[in-house]
Formats: sequence, C-alpha cells, structure tokens
Amino acid sequence: MAAASGTNDLSSEMELDAFRRLFPLSFHERHLLESIRPDGRPLGRARDTSLSLGAVASANGSALAKIGCTTMLAAIKLEVMTPTVEAPDEGCIAIDFHMPPICSPLIRPGRPAEVAPVISKQLSDTILSSGTIDLKELCLVSGKAAWMAYLDIYCLDADGALFDAALLSAVAAFSHLQIPVVSLNDDGRIVLVSEENGGSMKEKEPVNKEKIKLKMNSQPFSLTCILHKNYILADPISEEESIMETYLTVVLDTNYQLVSLNKPGGPGLASTSSIQDCIALAQKRVKELQQILSEAISDMEVD
Amino acid sequence: MAGKLGAAAATYSPSTGQRRKRPTIQTGSELARPDGRGLHQCRPAFLKTGAVNSASGSAYAEFGNTKVIVSVFGPRESKKAMMYSNAGRLNCNVSYTTFASPVRGQTPETKDLSSMLHKALEGAIILKSFPKTTVDVFALVLESGGSDLPVITSCASLALADAGIMLYDIVASVSVSCIGKNLLIDPVSEEEVHQDGALMITCMPSRNEVTQMTVTGEWSTTKINEAMQLCLDACSKLGKIMRSCLKEAASAPQD
Repeated sequence: MAAASGTNDLSSEMELDAFRRLFPLSFHERHLLESIRPDGRPLGRARDTSLSLGAVASANGSALAKIGCTTMLAAIKLEVMTPTVEAPDEGCIAIDFHMPPICSPLIRPGRPAEVAPVISKQLSDTILSSGTIDLKELCLVSGKAAWMAYLDIYCLDADGALFDAALLSAVAAFSHLQIPVVSLNDDGRIVLVSEENGGSMKEKEPVNKEKIKLKMNSQPFSLTCILHKNYILADPISEEESIMETYLTVVLDTNYQLVSLNKPGGPGLASTSSIQDCIALAQKRVKELQQILSEAISDMEVD
Repeated sequence: MAGKLGAAAATYSPSTGQRRKRPTIQTGSELARPDGRGLHQCRPAFLKTGAVNSASGSAYAEFGNTKVIVSVFGPRESKKAMMYSNAGRLNCNVSYTTFASPVRGQTPETKDLSSMLHKALEGAIILKSFPKTTVDVFALVLESGGSDLPVITSCASLALADAGIMLYDIVASVSVSCIGKNLLIDPVSEEEVHQDGALMITCMPSRNEVTQMTVTGEWSTTKINEAMQLCLDACSKLGKIMRSCLKEAASAPQD
C-alpha cells in the first residue's frame, strides 16, 4: 500500500503502520472519507468469492467456500433414523458450526469461541426456516426410516463475515449432496445397494431409486454490512469488525424475498434508510453468489 | 448441541451389509493394494504452505485421501501460569473433523496423537531461540485416509518452517505396515485395519537423525531392519519434496 507510493524512505511506512495500530478508528475513518477501504475496495463491494464442490470424499456432499481469506468447509453425512411420531414422513437436519483452533489466533483448544454457537444457531434457523429443503424429501419409508442429515461446517480461516461464508458453504454442500441408493432388508434396517453386485438376487428393491439429488427450493444467501456513522461497509474483514462494532446481516432468497434480518445490538443504531441500503446491497450480492454457485455446479459436472 | 440431538435419535449409517474381507494376500508374493500402488510406493504428496492467513505459519498436506491442515501461532505469551523457563515451549493439539472418518463420529483418540506430535517435533525445534514464550501447533484432520500421524507430523514441520520458527532441520515422517510377509509403505486406512504390525519413523533427513520411532505388533528382526531402511529412504525423498515446496513459496512473488 504505502510502499507503492514511494521508494524514498522506510520511516513513512513505519509511521503508517504505527498509526494503524495506535489509532485504528481514525485510520479507517480517514479512508472512509475518501470512499475507499484499507484493502482497496469501495465501501459496497464484497471480496472475491470462490466455491468448490466435493472437497471431502468421505462425505455425501461437501463444499469449500472462500470469501477473501475467510474459508469454510461444509460437509454433509447422511445417516438413517426412525422418524418421530409427530412427523412420520419427515427427515431431519442437524447443523453444527465449528471453529477449530487452527482458524484464528484468538481460539485456544479446550476453550471454544463464543461466536461459534451463535453462528450455529443462526445457520440452523436460516436454513430450516427458509423452506429451502423440504424435510419430506428426506423420508425413506414412512414411519420407519428417514435420513438424518448431519451438516458440519468448519471454519478453516477466520477473517470476518463468518456467517456469510458459512451459509454459502452450507447451501453449496446441499447442492452437491448425493443421496445413496438404499433398500430395506429383512431385519428392517436400511442397507446400501452396492453397484458392483447389483445383479445379486437377494437384494430387495431400492426404496429410493429416483431421489439421487436433493431438490432445493429457493436458496438463501446473505450479506453482512457494518454500519458506522453514515457509512455502510459490505462484507467486512475481521479488523473492520473489531473496530466498528455495529453490523447487520441480511439473508435473502433467490427471489429476493427477505429470509432473515439480524442486527445483534452494537453501539450504533440503524435507520430505516440504511437498512434499505443494506438490503439493496444484499440483492446485488445474491445475484453474484447465485452466479458463483451455478458456475461451481457446472464445473463439477464437466469433471 | 446437534450432537446430543443425534444421539437421542439413535441414527446409524447404512452399510452394504457385507463383511469386510481381509485382502487376499496371505500366500501370494505380490498383493494388490486398494489404490493400485506398488508395495514400496508412497502415495502422491501434495504440499502447500500458507493455507491459513490468520496464522503465523501454516501448511496443507494431501496424501491420497488423507488431508490435513496445520496452523502455527507464535512465538507468543505463554497462557498458563507456568514456571520461568529459558527455553521456549511447544504446545501441540490435533483434532479431527466429524466427517473425517467413513462413519461419523468414529474418530480416533486425539490426546495421544497430540502428545506424539509434540515428541516428534520437540527435538527438531531450537527452543532456545524463543525463551519464555510458546509456539502453538494446531492440526486439523479434514479427512482421514490412513497414515494420519506421519502426514500430520510432516505437515506440522512445514508449517513451523513457514512461520519462521528456527529448526535444526525439517522433519519428515513415514510409516510402514506389515501384512503377512509383505511390507507396505504409507498404508491407507483399509490396510492399517488389517496390519499385523506397524513401524513409523520420524527423522530429520539432512542430519540423518531420528526424532521418533514407534514399532507395534509382531515383527522379526530382519523385517524391522528392512522396514526401517524403507522408511528412511522414503523420509529423505519426502524431505526433498518438502524442501522444494518451501523454496517455491519463498521464490514466489509476494503480494
């Protein structure tokens, strides 16, 4: 940054670094006056985002999402469960978000991060309430067997906007999910139908011949924005999150319907107009993310 | 949270309903390995430094289906109220993702892996170079595909080098399984399940020093010698790959 402007002396660069550490707020505000952020982005732009599907071979569905440096690995494992009496033809989804100590210097083993359960809860609320996945799709034999989908999301590198990246990786993992073909054996247990010895006569008819891919309705995507004075900063990095503490997360589905809006306190208050600005930014972001997801899916189909 | 929910629902993962057979190798001189490798051929290794930006140093290692990320933090203030020490401290922690193993939740005990990793690396680090402080080495196994500990150890030493921690030499680690009369280098999980004995060597290839060696199971002396030689050769090859990975990272233009 500073090195590019002049090769003249090291001292100006040192001062800049010291200024950044000693007065982080004024350092950022000086940038905001010029409508730019320390990493060179305009205020409303999110970082470069990439997705790759099928990163984990031992899972039924998986995806790796990267937003800038923030990296999330989501994987789904399917297991069989007995449905509850209240909902005999519905499966279940269990969502867990983990922050292992590798992802940030602030997390030590044995002392889990406070934000992890919060994000975990937010993710399950968003995914289960948005109607993206019809739990009836996970049913195998009504009243007897259904899929339990364990979705585990690991943060591999934490650099801000954790919820956005986690949700993106979760949605991508569901689009990659492949449901194995299974049949019901004589003991009433579900067994896999192996492809190699499909000719063996003993095996029963598969119970789910058709459902190899999970059908998804409108998918949710999110954008987190920092509200600071009159500025709105989209997709903050962790440095910005630690300095300016008021943020707002907007979740929209692909029809731009609002799924969730979350502003967990903070010293700043949000005005109606700034909330509307955030939603407008989120709409633009949803378009980008949809494009990235469909590219990732078509990339995988080519391979 | 969700784990408890899962336990209450008593789920199981569907199997093919067939017993896994021991690979048919007893009599034959050449057995076929599940991935079609030769007996003395290691899996292709992919190594990359700088996988985690927020760490002081990090590395990603992929050996076949075994995928590991290691982050190094520090040297930084020792957290616990510890005695004064002129030498630095090393703190290691290994964990597994819930989807690392084929069946969810069947991950190995990580306490002993952490302590094995600590012992393997301790001898290679110049602890005197960071007195009174701690270096944290955290490993996460994304996918467990066999020979996990050797991959973790090698990856951790690469991450330490990436973090600029002073080392006597990089540490390379390779294991060998003994099945019947055969020695299989760099075994995958299926082979590890059926092994009669295992031998692992962790060494510093350019100094020709071994930092850790474990032998388990049934071995004859000649077999041990043979296996050790195999491991040491493989370690020096792996050491070269690790070195070239570090050189590549250092010569790449920094942005």
